[in-house]
Amino acid sequence: MSLTLPEGRLRRVLLGASPWLFFVALIAVWEVGCRLFSVPAYILPAPSVILNAFFDVEFSRWMQHLWATLRVALLGFLISIAVSIPIAIAMMRSEWLSRTLYPLLVVIQSTPVVAVAPLIIVIMGSDDPSRILITCLLTFFPLVVSTATGINETPPELIELSRSLDAPTRRETWQIRMPYAIPHIFSGLRVAITLAIIGAVVAEFVAAEEGLGYFIQFSTSFFRIPQAFAGLFFLAVVSLLLFKSVQWAQQLLFPWSLPRKGA
Amino acid sequence: MRNRKTRSFIVAAALAAGFLGQSAAAADKITYQLDWLPGGDKSPVYVGVQKGFFEDEGLDVSISVGRGSTDAITRIATGQSDVGSADIAALMAAKAQDATVPVKAVYSIFNQAPHAFFALGKSGIKTLTDIEGKKVATSPFTSSNAFLPLVLKENGLPEDAVNLTKADPGALGPMLVNGGADAIIAWVTNVPLFESQAEATGNTLVVIPWSSAGLELYSASVVASERFLSERPDVARRFLKAFDRSLRYTRDNPAEAAAALKAMVPEVDEVVVEKQVGATMPLVFNSVSERDGLGALTESRVALTWDWVAQAEGLSKDRLDPETVIDRSLLEALE
Repeated sequence: MSLTLPEGRLRRVLLGASPWLFFVALIAVWEVGCRLFSVPAYILPAPSVILNAFFDVEFSRWMQHLWATLRVALLGFLISIAVSIPIAIAMMRSEWLSRTLYPLLVVIQSTPVVAVAPLIIVIMGSDDPSRILITCLLTFFPLVVSTATGINETPPELIELSRSLDAPTRRETWQIRMPYAIPHIFSGLRVAITLAIIGAVVAEFVAAEEGLGYFIQFSTSFFRIPQAFAGLFFLAVVSLLLFKSVQWAQQLLFPWSLPRKGA
Repeated sequence: MRNRKTRSFIVAAALAAGFLGQSAAAADKITYQLDWLPGGDKSPVYVGVQKGFFEDEGLDVSISVGRGSTDAITRIATGQSDVGSADIAALMAAKAQDATVPVKAVYSIFNQAPHAFFALGKSGIKTLTDIEGKKVATSPFTSSNAFLPLVLKENGLPEDAVNLTKADPGALGPMLVNGGADAIIAWVTNVPLFESQAEATGNTLVVIPWSSAGLELYSASVVASERFLSERPDVARRFLKAFDRSLRYTRDNPAEAAAALKAMVPEVDEVVVEKQVGATMPLVFNSVSERDGLGALTESRVALTWDWVAQAEGLSKDRLDPETVIDRSLLEALE
């Protein structure tokens, strides 16, 4: 039996449904496995137990935690975009800047944020700004790298052409280089948005009074493992939605930058 | 036109006066720093807020959640919080490394060590010496780890008598129940949590507190920043008065304490919290508190505590005069 799908409409339906079917099958195996081997809830709760735990927490409480995490993740993400794209453009324009900044960026990226987070909290306090900074530290590097890669992707002939026509650097950047960079920037954004959630959660593990990461940690401290799993799933769904939103944004704003279907 | 201007000026002045009057009568704000996540053992401060004990003293207390004693001490030292709870052992260790840490212990909450071995009934571990040669799991950063060699030594066992593994605090209970460890190290305040896990698998839980095995010391204490104590001594005095009242109320009304915590932290399990309060109170109210008074920090027991801490941290005893960690002015004002 091969794994190729039949042709035509059926194929498209199956292709669309397959992630859902796979997900449902996974949940079913999990549920049955937990019941069959009577796995205790504090080791691995069954999906039905997790679902119950999810509805045991008040909706307004979920929203409160969600808002706390989302606020930090999105602000960190936006600030990262605002910082890293200009840095990437500046680095592309000046070799001196590129040589000076690149090692520093690599050092920042390779420093484990988990290790630095407590220091940031001590220096900047335990409020949103330090959590946003922690998120930025995680998200801005993939953005700088993807933007810089994209800008450098521009065919040199086009650059030569624009220079021979005396186009100002500004136009060269925005009208020639940027269109080539857009697909790369968006792949960077997709990585960065999931990292933003991770950053917010890491920050909440170190210092927070609310948020989904805090909720998970808190539930574990009370050995309420089903509740912790419920938080985890909620977080995963939020991550997926944000990831998808970046894709939607690309479809809406730069439809030409998407790879052509079937190509 | 002019008339209208005058009128609006009067209104503005009246408003301003109203605001000023209000701010003069407003409650003094205090940030209380927890040394860990909310739980039954932290409930007294929540009781103080919910029952209005702080309000009665003209205080507006907000509670900040911490991640360990060192974290709590750091946040109080940097002025993010005014007062809070932390293990006095961590404060002594911090002061021994850097005498300028601007934090003082003002009141003892636990006058007994909260550390304990937990084992299942079927393991055959009944007394501390039975632990020899067993596989013991502990969390990586708990203050208990430093005291373990001393407790073993005190009971005539070599320092490496147990086979120690480290795991996340959340994994300890399951490890104990499914046989991943013969015994675990945790605080006695967690007895209800582990008990429910043991019972769920048809086991009984054996608890061997280290305090009964010779570890005599102060543990969780109320600590305050030196700035708070010197700049707002009256606020600090009123705070401790209300805290003392909350602590006693918690002992007498564990169910209400659990409800108070639940009201402010809806994620907690009220039944478990009430049991936790029950497991915690013997660390606060016991023969030591009867002899010395609630909250007391006696010179002899402070010295004893430093003895243990110095040994546990591998510091020479003359690195710190333990009395420099203590400020008894608030305690004296209580009497």
